[in-house]
Amino acid sequence: MGLVIFYVKKLFKIFRNEVLVLPSRVVVGLFFIVLLGLPLVTQDPYFIRIIILTSIFAIFAASWDLLSGFTGQMNFGHALFFGVGAYGSAMLNIHFNIPPWATIPMGAIVAVLAGLIVGIPCLRLKHTYLALTTLAFPIILLGIIIALPDISGGELGMTGLKRITESLLGNYYLHVGVFLVLAVIMWEITDSNTGIIFHAIREDELAVKASGINTVFYKLLAFCLSGFFAGIAGGLYAHYMRIAGPSTLGVDQSFTVVIYAIFGGAATIYGPIAAVFILFPLLEVFRLWPEYRMMLFAAVVLVILLYMPEGLIHWIRDKIEKECPRCKIRNIATRKTCRICTANLD
Amino acid sequence: MAEPLLVVESVNKSFGGLKAVNDVSFRMEQKEVLGLIGPNGAGKTTLLRLLTGILKPDSGSVKFKGKELVGRNIWNIVNLGVACTFQNMRPFRRLPIIANVMVSCLSPRSHGKGEWVKKVENKAMDALEFAGISDMALEKASVLSQGDLKRLEVARAIASDPELLLLDEPFGGLSPAETDLMAKSIRRLHKGGRFGRLHSEGPAMIIVEHKLQQLMKIVDRIIVLNFGTLLAEGTPDEVVNNPQVIEAYLGKGGD
Ligand SMILES: Nc1ncnc2c1ncn2[C@@H]1O[C@H](COP(=O)(O)OP(=O)(O)OP(=O)(O)O)[C@@H](O)[C@H]1O
Ligand SMILES: [Mg+2]
Repeated sequence: MGLVIFYVKKLFKIFRNEVLVLPSRVVVGLFFIVLLGLPLVTQDPYFIRIIILTSIFAIFAASWDLLSGFTGQMNFGHALFFGVGAYGSAMLNIHFNIPPWATIPMGAIVAVLAGLIVGIPCLRLKHTYLALTTLAFPIILLGIIIALPDISGGELGMTGLKRITESLLGNYYLHVGVFLVLAVIMWEITDSNTGIIFHAIREDELAVKASGINTVFYKLLAFCLSGFFAGIAGGLYAHYMRIAGPSTLGVDQSFTVVIYAIFGGAATIYGPIAAVFILFPLLEVFRLWPEYRMMLFAAVVLVILLYMPEGLIHWIRDKIEKECPRCKIRNIATRKTCRICTANLD
Repeated sequence: MAEPLLVVESVNKSFGGLKAVNDVSFRMEQKEVLGLIGPNGAGKTTLLRLLTGILKPDSGSVKFKGKELVGRNIWNIVNLGVACTFQNMRPFRRLPIIANVMVSCLSPRSHGKGEWVKKVENKAMDALEFAGISDMALEKASVLSQGDLKRLEVARAIASDPELLLLDEPFGGLSPAETDLMAKSIRRLHKGGRFGRLHSEGPAMIIVEHKLQQLMKIVDRIIVLNFGTLLAEGTPDEVVNNPQVIEAYLGKGGD
């Protein structure tokens, strides 16, 4: 009994010293709690559905960030991976009758292959050329899909997919759970040594090579990882909506994900996620004025980018937290001295 | 032991009509420190770039410890033990200084050699310590001064544990005091030994430099490039007294 109390106290102490000290960590903690506890407050199907779709697109946006935000390989055709994940799992489900819990990861594997197929020709390309080339890939695939209606459902898409579960709560926790787990995994990847190499490739690829790092490997790794996560998002989307259609490969799909990432702040993982959780529900609210919906959306994005070029989340974080000039530890903005090294913060 | 460390045989490199490196051959022994001098635009940087694979020679061969380097990738060459610094420094500006060096520490060569080092951070820190900028490890690289960027370049290069280190103007843009410090670091590195978790066997070096006075104190031998061709080769004394070299530096009829 004493031992239990000891560990509870220890946990509490860690919680107080590591989480409560920083507003951003508190926000992340609250985000997890609110997401997981939401059905206790409301089980309105419409609301639940919005959160599920938001979670799916948050995975998608974070996966773009993992590739383009970090390694700087600007991908303007990210919908390719989403669409390949969606169509891949849909075909496996419809034509081979494989259950959704298996088709979604398999679809993601196909998206990894797509990552390799896109990644290899893109290895030699930079800037505008890279952007244009990546933009072309989903359009090419779309052409193939329209041309093969027997296999792919053509312009109408593939309908009649099975959901993993039909229960409202089951769906909610499945999608939110997968999103939270994948978000943590993506964040861990970028926080690791691999993440440092990704960052460095964006800064100066030649200098990374001259440091003895095989940049071809790491760039392809980024394409494959990104493809995998986007593929999962696509598969989840197809099975949840019960349709894999041409819109999953659309140009607007590719561009919105870029907007999400820039809006929230690229090369952070949490920035694009936060952006989706703000903008996607906001787009639903704007349905109240259907004819102005897209204009309002564009206005919000423009205003944010005009005043917060680094992205919304960077801006907020700099308002509520200060970096210690000496030890670079972050502190809550109200502190006068650093919580670790006690240096003066102003 | 008789095998030379580096054998360069008639390498050529042209940019359009300009012969930047013209039929250059030389060899280096283990642990030798070689000075590479020549007027501006003589092709010194180009020659170093040919050795590290950043540029591919039009013809010729470069053998390092008996292995042909021409045709290999830059990272392969670095992992064989040839590291270089950039004349116009190329830091990862938005990354902390320590992360700049960690990238080198993550290369297979460096990572494999220091298996007993628990964390790459520690190894990177020791490289920074050696270069004398460890106190700024957590700052962004964009805040560094010219001199400190040169130090960062050196830290990055030695973190990959090279057997042959190519330094492109390590004193460029440094104040006299900074130049002395850098020269000291280079000599210390060449002597070899243990710098924290960083172990140096005392690499051979090629040093490109315009500050000849400082350079002479460090190098064993000097080669002189002019208009891409090898003009002279010898000990520092021989080279500075060579009339051809004096002419190349001062122009015809110079005093
Ligand atoms: N990438 C390139 N494309 C075209 N010409 C180049 C290129 N790199 C170098 N040159 C030319 O090749 C010649 C040799 O240049 P290099 O940089 O090797 O000279 P250097 O000896 O290092 O000079 P410095 O002492 O000024 O650094 C110069 O005339 C330069 O203009
Ligand atoms: Mg040069």
